[in-house]
Amino acid sequence: MTSLFRRRKKRSAINLLDQQSSLWVIATLVFSMLPQWASMPVHLMLITLLPVVWRLLAAFGHWKPMPMLVRVLAAAVAVAVLVLTYGGIMGRRAAVSMLVLMLAMKLLETFTIRDARVVVSLSLFVCATQFLFSQELPMILYIVACVLTALTALMVLQRREAFQVLPEPPESSHQIRSELGFGLRLMLMALPIGIAFFMLFPRWGSPLWGMPENALDAKTGLSDSMSPGSIQGLFMDDSPAFRVSFQGDVPRQSEMYWRGPVFWDFDGASWKSSYLSRNLPAVKKPDPNKALFRYEVQMEPTEQRWLFALDYPALTPKGARMSIDYQLISRRSITQLRSYTMASDPLFSDKSELPQVIRRTAVELPKGFNPRTRQLISDWQAETASDSEMVARALRYFNQQQFHYTLNPPLLSDDTVDEFLFDTREGFCEHYASAFTVMMRMAGIPARVVTGYMGGWNSEFGDYTLVRQSDAHAWSEVWIKGSGWTRIDPTAAVAPERVERGSVSSLAERRYFFDFEWLRDSKNAFDLLQRGWNQWVIAFDAGRQSSMFSQFGWGLWGAGKLVVALMVVLLLASMCFVWLLPWLMKVFAARQLDPVQREWLRFRQKLSKANIEAPDSSTPTELAGIANSQLKYSGNVINRIVELYLHCRYSASAGELNELSEMVQQFQPRRLQT
Amino acid sequence: MSLTSSTQRFGLVALIERIKERVRKTRGPLTPPVTLEYRHVFVMPTKFGVCFGFLLVLMLLGGLNFNNNMALMLVFLLGAMTQMTSLLAYRNLVGLRIDNIISDAVFCGEDARFKIFISNPGRQKRYTLSAGFKQAQDCRDFNPSARESVTLHMPSQKRGWVAMPVFRLETRFPLGLFKAWSWIFPNTSCLVYPEPAKTFPPLPISGQGESGQAKKGDGDQVHGLRKYQQGDSRHRIAWRASARHDKMYSLEMETPRDESCELNWDLLQGYDAESRLSVLTAWVLEADRRQLTYSLKMPLESIATGQGAGQRVRCLEMLALYPA
Repeated sequence: MTSLFRRRKKRSAINLLDQQSSLWVIATLVFSMLPQWASMPVHLMLITLLPVVWRLLAAFGHWKPMPMLVRVLAAAVAVAVLVLTYGGIMGRRAAVSMLVLMLAMKLLETFTIRDARVVVSLSLFVCATQFLFSQELPMILYIVACVLTALTALMVLQRREAFQVLPEPPESSHQIRSELGFGLRLMLMALPIGIAFFMLFPRWGSPLWGMPENALDAKTGLSDSMSPGSIQGLFMDDSPAFRVSFQGDVPRQSEMYWRGPVFWDFDGASWKSSYLSRNLPAVKKPDPNKALFRYEVQMEPTEQRWLFALDYPALTPKGARMSIDYQLISRRSITQLRSYTMASDPLFSDKSELPQVIRRTAVELPKGFNPRTRQLISDWQAETASDSEMVARALRYFNQQQFHYTLNPPLLSDDTVDEFLFDTREGFCEHYASAFTVMMRMAGIPARVVTGYMGGWNSEFGDYTLVRQSDAHAWSEVWIKGSGWTRIDPTAAVAPERVERGSVSSLAERRYFFDFEWLRDSKNAFDLLQRGWNQWVIAFDAGRQSSMFSQFGWGLWGAGKLVVALMVVLLLASMCFVWLLPWLMKVFAARQLDPVQREWLRFRQKLSKANIEAPDSSTPTELAGIANSQLKYSGNVINRIVELYLHCRYSASAGELNELSEMVQQFQPRRLQT
Repeated sequence: MSLTSSTQRFGLVALIERIKERVRKTRGPLTPPVTLEYRHVFVMPTKFGVCFGFLLVLMLLGGLNFNNNMALMLVFLLGAMTQMTSLLAYRNLVGLRIDNIISDAVFCGEDARFKIFISNPGRQKRYTLSAGFKQAQDCRDFNPSARESVTLHMPSQKRGWVAMPVFRLETRFPLGLFKAWSWIFPNTSCLVYPEPAKTFPPLPISGQGESGQAKKGDGDQVHGLRKYQQGDSRHRIAWRASARHDKMYSLEMETPRDESCELNWDLLQGYDAESRLSVLTAWVLEADRRQLTYSLKMPLESIATGQGAGQRVRCLEMLALYPA
């Protein structure tokens, strides 16, 4: 038993890491876990950092590995904390955090080449998992850097393993820079094969196992309730919500109302969607043939289920349904980039009579709230004859009283509408939409709050419209007899520029410190790149693949045929690499002259520029004679060059070559004035 | 791992060994000088390479399931790089030229050392080429057009000619995912002298009756230094040593005695054959050290009286190759 133990110990002693390789392994791990690390809660960050720091110190201090018991205990505690923090390890963030944490713990016992290779390989795995959270260009560049580090680490480990047979490894002729360069070259060589595989590899139409819920860090974008401040939070966020490319006409800014969640239930403070409206299907849909706008939407993942479309959507994308209030609701939550074709008819309206159930939901208000508003409305009711007059009256009220459109409204307490209408009079689109809807309901007019996005940035070059989270907006819809549900945007009555120019430009104040116009412009320009990338690379799937094949005229390829094609690609690439590349290198190398000859030719070129021509058969010394006779150059220089050339030719010496090249460099022949 | 030992084993290991042997023989034999060609180079994934491939498959399944294109792209890129490294490993080995192998004689019990001269005729640099019989023993980088030597060693167990076993040149460049190797069948042997006996009877000196000591005093050969005494010739002063020690030294000269000894097999009655060889070896070394002239007489052949390195080598060779 003891002998076995000793033998194992002795064997592992051979494959120990040295400082350089340890540092590369640690660097690889740290790089690859950094994006994940940044998303962790602070205490988990620290727990993950500890083993890394310990291992770094161990590398510098040549420490021994920790006892087994300590390592196991540390790992157990860390996992327990993680499970408590995330409430399990389901969900992508939790699962990847778990992986990263365990990998960091693995560092505590990583002292052999074998363990180091495990760590580096799993770091690459972590890199791949990071694409579950973001597939945007900066992330891709970052992961490329991580892969380079990992390649270098593997190279260093390989050298370490091979040279451990020598007591003293050779002077590292293989410097880190050349290793990085080598890694980069390897990547570039592999890139064509990688791309071919990417395009040809058979894709699955539907996933084998389900996508875990809460894939993203948090739900982004509009949510299933609206309380004061919820849209305001989005207003700070310049990240893209979706991109739209129109076929044909592009609507004006003020017409771009992107419909999202619709709210019916008001509890005095916040708005919620009602069960009824969410689950009843749309009765009368706009006719797709009459739709004015046709467009393609490329939507960023939100973790929510709403799809966005201009008022009023005429098509229902695959895997989604249209509710009675024209929300487009996806069957699955949107966890990755999603594209759909859409058509909209802004002129559509359903003029049929409102069913009683829906009418009742649309006028319902909590009892006892907002007495002052109620009083105001009953005053108005006495003066107005019709519903549409009531709407106009309310809008006039917003327009003529001193209301302000601002990002930083004061907080409201119980009677939110009362306080807003009579006391603070400062608010944001959601305040106006909410107050207006409440006022209408008090007047007995069916009304609902619609949230979504308003406007968008029309790219000059990209031929598409970008809608950002900061374009989030809320407005009202009221039901007027004879014209059906009608969109009323009370914000427009207060701040018409919000509707005309977009949300960010309409504000006088800066939203945050770095909120500059030029920065927004450059963000927009970058979005052009990102959008193309999304469209051509990220959104590539089984459908696109088969349409690509049919474009090439290949028809539908089965998996078998694809595998054969991939094998052919691999074979061709390997052949190129093994035969073509060395051959090319040989050809190029043959063209390259030796440095002495190169300098000599340069010298002769300079001479012939000065019209000193000598027969090809003349010896260097003869050439010097001819040149000296025709140039007003000091003969010494020419003679010296020739002498150096001959020396270099027949007795190599690096110093003389340098002198030769310097002299040829400075040689500026001028003809004698005759 | 010698060829004969493996054939005696049974079971799966033996079968694999036999297949390996067959492959080696059909692809070889590669006897230096030889340039490694494509059919001489084997490429296989290492254990780490297999595990890495498995990890890539896992990543591929994940990427396909989530239809995560960038993860897929990463997997394909890593896969393509892995594939490329197999070719790089191959290219790192192919084209190398094994020029020759030399081996100096050793005494039994010491390690037999084989110095293998390898040149890199190509323009490309070659990294981490290791050589070894079973486990790697030496490793080198090869610059373009460079010639380097690697040294392999194995314990010597028997006197006589010891043939250098099959060895392999291997490289796991660049990432350690694949190994490329070639088996070389050398035709070099190392001469192993008998192990000199640690204790042995005194040399059978049969000089002119005097003691075995050489006569000090005048002579041609330097024996050592002694303190300067008055009367020592000025030519004999060891100027350098004197300067170093701040004291005068003069060279002590000696004349080798015209002593000779006959190292005779028959003198060693009561020893078995190998022990006799050991003692004779020790005697040869001792006589050589004392710069005696000596002859060696064996049952079948003998070497005439002689002196110096040539005599020593002749004698040791005869002892090494004495038929068992």
